Amino acid sequence: MRVSTYGAFMRGVTMMERLQSALDYTQRQVSTGRRIMTPSDDPIASARALEVRESLSRLTQFERNATVATNRLAQEEEALNSVNNVLQRVRELALQANNATQSNESRKLIAVEMREQLDHLVQLANQKDGNGRHLFSGNLEDVQPVSRSGSVFTYNGDQGQRLIQVGETRQIADGDSGASVFFNIRNGNGDFAASQATGNAGTGVLGAGSLLNPALWDQGQYTVSFTGPNNYEVLDASAAVISSGAFQPGDTLAFRGIELSISGQPVAGDEFYVSPSSYQDVFTSVERLVTAVETSVNGDASRASLTNGINAGLMNIDQAIGNILDVRTQVGSRLATIENQVDSNGAFALSYEEMLADIEDLDYAEALSRLSLEATMLEAAQKSFIRTQTLSLFNYF
Amino acid sequence: MPDLLNTSLTGMIAFQRALEVTSHNIANANTPGYNRQVAELSTRIGSGAGNLYIGGGVQVSDIRRVYDEMQGLQLQTSTTTFTRFYAINELAGRMDTLLADADTGLNSSLQSFFNGLQDVANNPSSVPTRQALLGEATGLASRFQSLDRRLTELDSEVNNRIDLAVSDINTLAAGIADINGQISLASAGGRQPNDLLDQRDRLVMALSEQVSVSTTTQDDGTMSVFIGNGQSLVVGASARELAVAGSEFDPTALQVVYKASTGSIPLDTSLTGGNLGGLLEFRTSMLNPARQTLGRTAAALVTSLNAQNASGMDLRGNLGGDFFSVSPPTILVSGNNTGSGTALAQFADMSAVTGDDYVLEFDGAAYALTRADTGAVVPMTGSGTAADPFVADGLVIEVGGAPAAGDRLMIRSARDIAASVRSVISDPQSLAFAAPTRSAIGGGNIGNASISPATVVDPADAALLNSSVIEFTTPTTFTINGAGSFAYTDGQPIVINGSSVTISGTPSVGDQFTIEANYGASGDNANGLLMADIQSLGIMEGGTISINESYGQLVSNVGSTTRQVQANLDAASVIRTQAEESVLATSGVNLDEEAARLVRYQQSYQAVAQVVNVAKTLFDSLLEATRR
Repeated sequence: MRVSTYGAFMRGVTMMERLQSALDYTQRQVSTGRRIMTPSDDPIASARALEVRESLSRLTQFERNATVATNRLAQEEEALNSVNNVLQRVRELALQANNATQSNESRKLIAVEMREQLDHLVQLANQKDGNGRHLFSGNLEDVQPVSRSGSVFTYNGDQGQRLIQVGETRQIADGDSGASVFFNIRNGNGDFAASQATGNAGTGVLGAGSLLNPALWDQGQYTVSFTGPNNYEVLDASAAVISSGAFQPGDTLAFRGIELSISGQPVAGDEFYVSPSSYQDVFTSVERLVTAVETSVNGDASRASLTNGINAGLMNIDQAIGNILDVRTQVGSRLATIENQVDSNGAFALSYEEMLADIEDLDYAEALSRLSLEATMLEAAQKSFIRTQTLSLFNYF
Repeated sequence: MPDLLNTSLTGMIAFQRALEVTSHNIANANTPGYNRQVAELSTRIGSGAGNLYIGGGVQVSDIRRVYDEMQGLQLQTSTTTFTRFYAINELAGRMDTLLADADTGLNSSLQSFFNGLQDVANNPSSVPTRQALLGEATGLASRFQSLDRRLTELDSEVNNRIDLAVSDINTLAAGIADINGQISLASAGGRQPNDLLDQRDRLVMALSEQVSVSTTTQDDGTMSVFIGNGQSLVVGASARELAVAGSEFDPTALQVVYKASTGSIPLDTSLTGGNLGGLLEFRTSMLNPARQTLGRTAAALVTSLNAQNASGMDLRGNLGGDFFSVSPPTILVSGNNTGSGTALAQFADMSAVTGDDYVLEFDGAAYALTRADTGAVVPMTGSGTAADPFVADGLVIEVGGAPAAGDRLMIRSARDIAASVRSVISDPQSLAFAAPTRSAIGGGNIGNASISPATVVDPADAALLNSSVIEFTTPTTFTINGAGSFAYTDGQPIVINGSSVTISGTPSVGDQFTIEANYGASGDNANGLLMADIQSLGIMEGGTISINESYGQLVSNVGSTTRQVQANLDAASVIRTQAEESVLATSGVNLDEEAARLVRYQQSYQAVAQVVNVAKTLFDSLLEATRR
């Protein structure tokens, strides 16, 4: 082929320019360590990198969220632990007070400590977190959850529970409202509560009672009324007799699917009430227990009344302890869930980071060998350019 | 003897001409667009001498320009293709880096904003955290604005370049016309004005760099140049002009028009190739779609966030207001309208909004909507009044004024939106992170039924914040605020005053559940979590594309188009180089060849000079012989 001098020159220059631009690109890759400089280098990988980066950033945020939730739950767990200790102490004191060897005076002393424990309990329920927000007022963080007016305790918070996003599809509650921890606790045995009438002259003492057949239990109000020491009848809310029978101390009465044992000896006119379990807050339960303990005993009937009062109070305290335990278990499982989620988030983050490295990071071995190849090619092009450009017939004129 | 002298004289003249041509070639060895010239030598017909014919020497019969028209045409076409991709590539590359860069792109701001939302959700009552979120919101709004501003800058640069290209084309066309005139004069005697032809070819090549042209050469040696759909740019010694003018709807969007004797003809769609074609192509196929996508993303984000914020309650106990603001779709009135018709468009359903431009045309009786790019008809429902607006592609359009038949309006649904994003909440307390209502279990409940948190289904319900009591009159029926009797199904949602709750379990007679305004719930984040969800929620394209995906698509679309353009540019560059090389192979000067010619013609010249010497010697001998 015919070669023009200008063409040969231009071709040499163009080739060198091309090699230089390739060399420059590789050099920029090597100096930044990135395979992709602009999205057009690899549009699909770049779009993928954007997605991965977004996922990574979300995971980082979830980790932060998880820390917030963990801290709050840990605080709650600590508070619940203290609440449990207080209730256990109240329980011990009540058992102590129920001992027949206690005098009226010594029981009063016990009651004093119980009242101190009650105050402590209210303080725990009104506890604040590190940011000055109440732990147990639901979403009404600025409101003191428990207020007291004499022996009446009121919950001022709401029943809301805040959820925290700890994973792409997982939200975890970071606390429990005071309603569910302290207030919405079933009294009695959880199904029904039994109590004696205030004026009972006999020594009848109620046992725990149990629900045998939930299908028959209609959640009504019933009165067990003794017509004589050995005869009773059961009246419903409208004073109709639904059952009656003979009674021996220690007998178990059964009606409407429940059974109730009564020990001691009631007398005619003694009454015992059965009502469906309703919500009773733990403070009222303790308050009533203390009131029972404080009552002076002067005779068998009032001894029986004390025992009934303390037994009923203990049942309520046990319900409360059970409830605290439930909540603690939930808190514990939430903490475990968060930990699992954090672990799996971490695993995801790691794989995302690897993915990102695969997408964006430079294969140095490949890039460096490419760099040296391109450098060699450029050098060769430059040498051959000089060599061919100096060839001219005019040199021999 | 005189013949001998004459013959050698023709040789001396011819070789001198040949040497002159060679020296012209050598001098122009590096002149771009120069086609080498060759002196064509031929014998002079001799005269009869008796019964013999004796040759009359040599002559330069022609100085030929070595030029292959096919190769020239190839170079011209490949140059047009090359400059087209070159123009697009340069602009696309800038857009490419702009969108994906962490400092200029949308992703980092978007992510910071949503992380800020989650931080507030973690601690809704913390005013400093809320304040930080407002900062992120302002940052996000200004990122939308600055991205769009950079794209608008590209747009005005395209406008400037179009203007420059058009004036270049006009200068070149005038130049070609001028040379045409000179050529027709110079070639009058059948001679070829080689250097004028070269010069004209160079101008045509420069014109091809700007835009795709076609040419034909006339018998008188002049060249006609055609552009677009065959509009003549140069005929003989006269040239027509192109001009730039605002488009029908938007005076700031320059388009190219051809100044015909009957008026201006818009050329935009028929101008392909070259720098100008590339600029127009970049604007319609990359820049405008990018601004549309960005605008649509902004509109979708803002609309969803505003709707969600309005479904929540702020720290003051008020229902939330707008978080961000955006302007509605732009309405542009055609400059040709004779009536005074106007329109007002609003976003109604972001999942159906396309972001495209539409043309709303009034035919004298009714309006019809078409897509601006394809002209495809878009079906509309409604009658266009405020009470019953037109609904099409997620937009509601209300028309007014007194339109005349043939009047046209353009609806730019999303292109101008990104620039209008503003964060409008300045009070951190106004972020509505709490749910507007809450539910509670009655304190005296006997049954084990529980109630779900209240979720708002109709934030616009006038009675949303009223308190309601659900009371069970039997285990399977309940009243609402003491009225009615509704059947209870375990786990079935109950909607009251725009709030929805679900009661599950077994309620007892007399059990109560309440729904009330969520006043004072500074720690509630229920609505905040829903706002944070918007990041990954499919809110566009019929619910399939999230905000992030939408922007990711924009980046990858621009990236892949840029890559394609780069690949095309590389290919076009190779093809152009090949065409250039084949032209140079034919028409370029080879200095060695010219050096060899120099030697050859010099030797020939010396030889004929020697013949003169011989003639002189012969003549001298004759004189010597006849002396005395």
